[in-house]
Amino acid sequence: MQKLKTDKDNKQERMNFVEYWADFVKNNPDEVWSRQQKLLIDSQIKNAKSFKISRKDYLEIKKK
Amino acid sequence: MKFLGKNTIKLDKELNELDKFVLDFIKILKKHTDYVIISGYVSLLFGRARGTEDIDVFIEEATKESFIKLYQEIEEKYWCLNSDEVNEIYSYLKDGLPIRVAIKDQAIPNFEIKFAKTLLAKEAFKDSVIVKTTLGELKISSLERQIAFKKYYLKSDKDLEDAKHIEKLFKENINYNKVKEYRITIENAKTKNR
Repeated sequence: MQKLKTDKDNKQERMNFVEYWADFVKNNPDEVWSRQQKLLIDSQIKNAKSFKISRKDYLEIKKK
Repeated sequence: MKFLGKNTIKLDKELNELDKFVLDFIKILKKHTDYVIISGYVSLLFGRARGTEDIDVFIEEATKESFIKLYQEIEEKYWCLNSDEVNEIYSYLKDGLPIRVAIKDQAIPNFEIKFAKTLLAKEAFKDSVIVKTTLGELKISSLERQIAFKKYYLKSDKDLEDAKHIEKLFKENINYNKVKEYRITIENAKTKNR
């Protein structure tokens, strides 16, 4: 497993993490990386469901 | 994940709530029309560590009668954020506008659906890839199209990161001549639209 490269530039540092994570996904069984992804995504879906927003307000936000 | 041939990928991931949302909706969609999933969700399907509020889908342009049949089934569980009136929804799609569909009384996550009207959209169906999951199949646009579209059309930080994820993950499977070819098509389409 490669080590995560750090960087002073935030954009580059983010990209380094994207590469690091893609490397993890590539070199581990689907069941392993997906369990971590599931924690992240399921918590976001749970938050979204509890956040009540009307159709009108949502579409207004999307226009901006 | 592994390729089961040129255009099929087997994915043994533990499906998250977003994947299940997508698979449920696609079951309805594919009974009535052809579809192809594009953009951000494709990167997420293959493990990208981020969330999203929408899933972009092209569907084949349909007659009003066949769209009404599709929509009748959709509205048993979902609603359109843009309108409740099926004729209005259809007219948006016919005009090339996207509609958003979510589970009733919710706004997020949602499907952003468009009729495939442009050449670029229509071509996304041609070399689509089937992803076999434990709960069903999904049709996505080719990895090469994903990369070209994200790197040379959308170009935001998020899109460049999505493209990097796909490139790094499928390094050995990506045909870079095709990416180049799509880049030219995309840039030509952009020039025409100016």
